[in-house]
Amino acid sequence: MFTTGSKLFVGATALSTVGAIVFAASVGGPTGILGTIGLITVAIAFAFLAGINFFTRDGNVSAMEPGAEVNSAAAQPPVGRSMWPMVTAVGIGGIAVGAVSKPVVFKVSVIIVLAAAVEWMIQGWSERASSDRAYNDGLRKRLLHPLEFPILASVIAAVFIYSFSRIMLTIDKDAGRWVFIIIGAIITAVGFVFAAKRGMSKGTAGGIIAVGALALVGVGVASAVSGQRPIEEHPHINTAVCLGTASAEEIEEVDAKASQTVAAKSNVLANVYLAEDEHLFALNGGIGNVEYQEITVPRSTDVHVLFHNDSPEPRRLTVHLGTFPAADGTAGSELADCTTAVEAGGEAFLTFRLDKSQAASSTPYRLTVPGVEGQEIKLLVP
Amino acid sequence: MDRSDKTMTTLGDMPSPRRRWTRAALVGLGLVLAGCAKDAPQDYFQPKGPNAEKIDNLQRPVFYIAGIVGVIVLGAVGYIVFKFKDRGQDIPEQSHGNPKLEIALTILPAIILAGIAVPTVITVFELDKKDDTECIINVTGQQWWWEYDYATGSCGGVEIAEPIVTSGELVIPTDTPVLLRITSRDVIHSYWIPALNGKRDAVPGRLHTLRMQADEAGLYTGQCTEFCGLSHARMRQAAVALEPADFQTWVDNQLEPYAAPEADSLAAEGEGTFIANCSKCHQVNGIANSDGSPVLSDPDLYVVSGVAPNLTNLLTRTAIAGWTFDILTEECRTTLWETRGAGFGELYLQGVTPECFDEVALREWLRNPTGMKPMFADATNLESTGGKYRGMPNLNLTEDQIDQLIAFLIERK
Ligand code: HEC
Ligand SMILES: [Cu+2]
Repeated sequence: MFTTGSKLFVGATALSTVGAIVFAASVGGPTGILGTIGLITVAIAFAFLAGINFFTRDGNVSAMEPGAEVNSAAAQPPVGRSMWPMVTAVGIGGIAVGAVSKPVVFKVSVIIVLAAAVEWMIQGWSERASSDRAYNDGLRKRLLHPLEFPILASVIAAVFIYSFSRIMLTIDKDAGRWVFIIIGAIITAVGFVFAAKRGMSKGTAGGIIAVGALALVGVGVASAVSGQRPIEEHPHINTAVCLGTASAEEIEEVDAKASQTVAAKSNVLANVYLAEDEHLFALNGGIGNVEYQEITVPRSTDVHVLFHNDSPEPRRLTVHLGTFPAADGTAGSELADCTTAVEAGGEAFLTFRLDKSQAASSTPYRLTVPGVEGQEIKLLVP
Repeated sequence: MDRSDKTMTTLGDMPSPRRRWTRAALVGLGLVLAGCAKDAPQDYFQPKGPNAEKIDNLQRPVFYIAGIVGVIVLGAVGYIVFKFKDRGQDIPEQSHGNPKLEIALTILPAIILAGIAVPTVITVFELDKKDDTECIINVTGQQWWWEYDYATGSCGGVEIAEPIVTSGELVIPTDTPVLLRITSRDVIHSYWIPALNGKRDAVPGRLHTLRMQADEAGLYTGQCTEFCGLSHARMRQAAVALEPADFQTWVDNQLEPYAAPEADSLAAEGEGTFIANCSKCHQVNGIANSDGSPVLSDPDLYVVSGVAPNLTNLLTRTAIAGWTFDILTEECRTTLWETRGAGFGELYLQGVTPECFDEVALREWLRNPTGMKPMFADATNLESTGGKYRGMPNLNLTEDQIDQLIAFLIERK
């Protein structure tokens, strides 16, 4: 009596009704209400679809037609084997395992079950879409290939990229260069061989690629398990370096390890110049030729200045970020940040932020160049 | 059912073709007339400064060309639809391709587009010019209001000795190329005063510049034009252009030292209430504790954006809270908005006079700010921001406290 399509929708109606009841009973608050309303809506929608399907006999057969129970598309026996029941079972098992072990297993399994459900449904439907078997086969492909191919391809690409990145993170920095060159060379060479030997069988080619892929993924997994190579910690710019109170060796090391390149030159609040005669001044973006000895800085805002060292010595620009009482009530010490030492003629970017008005700090906010006396640019924070 | 039957029954329910046309025409006319609304201060077809004029000189011809092309295309479509309507005639002979026509229809739009591109690029570069700047103002957006910091130095010949911080109303001297340096403290906003220039996004960590120049003294309204959360629609702003002498007066007034309220007055009580309840977020420059120590705000500890409007000269502004709620009576506001040129400066510099002060909005704002403007300011629900507010919370003030605060704030001018 029930057609294939209406069975599916009757089942879905029952499931969402039960879902609505369980949800209403277990989840409270606005989420509970919303969810229940949503599920009831879904149930009604499915019931409606079930009705339509039932009435139209899946739209395949006129209800009046004699012998429809035997001849109609819906009445054809299933074709071929399907892997989806098995995949679904694996997914459900995964959900159970994931629920008690790792959330990622759970999530991946949910995705597998959802994907399998879609595939299974479409396969089941397409097998009986008409009484023409070849047409049915084509139908499934037409519907699912545009989805399957890109998704599968991205998953495979992601696995390769991830494996490769794990390898590169594990091996030594210098070795990495060689690994890159050698693997690249091998891939190119193999490509040449494939191209030259036109007649190579699909099996051989596939085998070679499979071995390569397996090797890559295998080494990738091994690398991921063994962990990253230790990454050296460089000494960082710190208040003592900026205020010139650190030891000479430390200052030297910080500067030696620092990068001298300026990533961005736009968005600067001011360009700060240390002139050849060690005179320090700022040009405000906009007013080109007025030298400023003070810059107004909006508070609680990240601002950038670009430091140009036109003096003959390597110099750094230090921003004095004020002195505030420490948590324990003591006076606190001055905060500062700075660029690395900039070679003569070089530039460096300095980003800072001042949260409190100038009046809250016991030392002035300002820009200075350690080693150059008597030069400063005031930072006004209203 | 037979086809003719069906047509008969449905036709009966429908208005006659003539009535349908009349209705459509009426709706169309209504839409067209809506474009002529008189009370439209943010109409970008009315430039009031050289930058907006540049845009207007570009957009008008483009608008007309596009309009003509649009009319031709729609006209042709309409003509073809009616002319070749299916009246049961034979299907005409089918042909494929017409190289001459196709080449012509490719070249013609290309020429039109090139013709538009050249002036567009020129205008873009002109609007980006900075080397003629005579005044710099930092404009910082945050949920849901604009702050202006006036950098020290010369602003169109007027010396600004100390930084000035204000909100909502951008005050600029007329006929002076002003450069706004626009950024944001939280999400992306966009600054727009349609009468004076185009829009510029305010992006955290970036500093975008925008030229502003007004030909005539007056008030030009605008609003945030990048969706920025709950109260985006209530994030408005205005540019107020004052003649240079008036601008000087405005600057002097902004920098005038704090005048404490008369002892034992309601305003003096208000000062105490302000220090106790408001000063942790809002700064009033120069205000001091009873022991003489300065009262400094710490909005960075309480507000996500790290700031709250500076209230030193609140009553020199005409609207509050994202320039959304007027503190001027409707009559005074209409006069102020409609005055342009000579008389405007005097009117504006009076500030909110007692006759013009409409305290309803301010009072309601103190009583229940979140009721007036949707904000993320429920003290019991701040986990996602580490205990900080977006906007101003309801402080549960008593009516007495509100009276005191109004008395105190009314003197901030
Ligand atoms: C937790 C911080 C905080 C406290 C405390 C606070 N405010 Fe506010 N206030 C704000 C913020 C943020 C705004 C801007 C809201 C907006 O426009 O979106 C604001 C806006 C205002 C405005 C409008 C100002 C303008 O220029 O538009 C006034 C007036 C005001 N507050 C008065 C007060 C008074 C009076 C008190 C004390 C009773 C107070 N506030 C306490 C954060 C605070
Ligand atoms: Cu905004």
